[in-house]
Amino acid sequence: METKQIEKVLKAPAPHMVGDGFRVHNFFPSGYKINMSPFFLMDYGSKIEFSARKEPRGVGVHPHRGFETVTIAYHGAVAHHDSAGNSGVIYPGDVQWMTAASGILHKEYHEAQYSLTGGPFQMVQLWVNLPSKDKMGKPGYQAIKQADMAHFDLPENGGKIEIIAGNYQGIKGNANTFTPIELYNARLNKGSEATFNFPEHFNTGFLVIEGSIKVNGSETAAADNFLHFKNEGEEIKIEALENSVILVLSGEPIDEPIVQYGPFLMNTQAEIHQAIEDYNQGRFGYLEE
Amino acid sequence: MIHQFQKYLQEKIEITDEQFESISSVLKVKKFEKNEIVQYTGDNFKHGYFVGKGLLRAYSIDAKGKEHILQFAPENWLVSDRNNMNNEPSIFFIDAIEATEAVLMPNNFMEEAARQVPCLQPMQIKLLNNSIRFMQKRINMLLSATAEERYLDFIKLYPNLTLRVPQWMIASYLGITPESLSRVRKELANKHFRP
Repeated sequence: METKQIEKVLKAPAPHMVGDGFRVHNFFPSGYKINMSPFFLMDYGSKIEFSARKEPRGVGVHPHRGFETVTIAYHGAVAHHDSAGNSGVIYPGDVQWMTAASGILHKEYHEAQYSLTGGPFQMVQLWVNLPSKDKMGKPGYQAIKQADMAHFDLPENGGKIEIIAGNYQGIKGNANTFTPIELYNARLNKGSEATFNFPEHFNTGFLVIEGSIKVNGSETAAADNFLHFKNEGEEIKIEALENSVILVLSGEPIDEPIVQYGPFLMNTQAEIHQAIEDYNQGRFGYLEE
Repeated sequence: MIHQFQKYLQEKIEITDEQFESISSVLKVKKFEKNEIVQYTGDNFKHGYFVGKGLLRAYSIDAKGKEHILQFAPENWLVSDRNNMNNEPSIFFIDAIEATEAVLMPNNFMEEAARQVPCLQPMQIKLLNNSIRFMQKRINMLLSATAEERYLDFIKLYPNLTLRVPQWMIASYLGITPESLSRVRKELANKHFRP
């Protein structure tokens, strides 16, 4: 099997605040112009300390249409509420897969108890595009607790690959997806190795959350770097130079036009106008601030 | 940015490229950071603003510290304090809700333009009438319309601002409490939301 080589190692772009609770580096689409479809956006909240606060920080009620938000927690805790009546807390290791589809309102705040004590906070939010035929489908919500997550144990206590979505070594991930997506948290102990195989045409990237790794026996990458791979070759080998956590993303591109305006991701400008109109007219429902 | 202003004018009035060229040397472009105060109450400013990119707002603050928003100026909007034209101090603050790039238009810009290019005079009056019409409608709304009517008028005038400014600013512009705005939006959702 051909090796899939690194296209480029990308450093975290300068951070910006989303609301007052999320300090994020946007790797794409703003930070770097790379094609990661079906992943449209990746906001990475690198590890920082939040001071204790009674009033939780976060982002108030806002809409989404035409895609899915996937939130992956590493440190800290986020409380979520949406207009479809779903709510929950995303703790370290957990994943929340929210399908906005035809429209949802939601709000995301630091969880009350975490806010009171403060402490380290580290998180990733992905926007996963939906194919045209599913953009106006029913909203959905998948809360995946780390304890329930499908995983593959690496040999000799080397760590584990948690399979959020897709299939690793015959083990199927928890999340249902609309297009073929592989999404894993690879948790490797120092010195251990793991191998991944993705079709050539899948867009593939690794975000080093913690530690440092050697990729394909040559290039090394430390925490907060994103490895963007070529659309050639299939096999990627990594070796952990210290205890490491890597978010692995790979997916089949959705070959359709994209028009984005703020929190809406559609195929045409007319659909964007419709989304704004529908939001203004209350057709997304209602959620208390 | 100057070119965008030219296009804006040319959509509203008949002005040739050459005519615009002859009057545009006094225009300047300035950038404002998010939350930057563009002008203060009580000052005397020599120009108004054409927003090319970003979002400005004009507002006053009452004795209790409450803000009252007179106008939002997103892309392709003009905002200015006409008190300055009479050499009276401005009664509004203007600040940047988003990082903004604006064309600074001297207060006497249209007047001077009409003097230099006399055929622009009727056009200048047209622009002024437009601005007065807007203000008359706005006053009438504030005096006579229900909260829902005000909100529905607002989303027609500024469709995407509901995604760009916080609720309390919209409430302030509409002259209603944030609670009333919330109630209006909830009632609309009850009417229109089909899960």
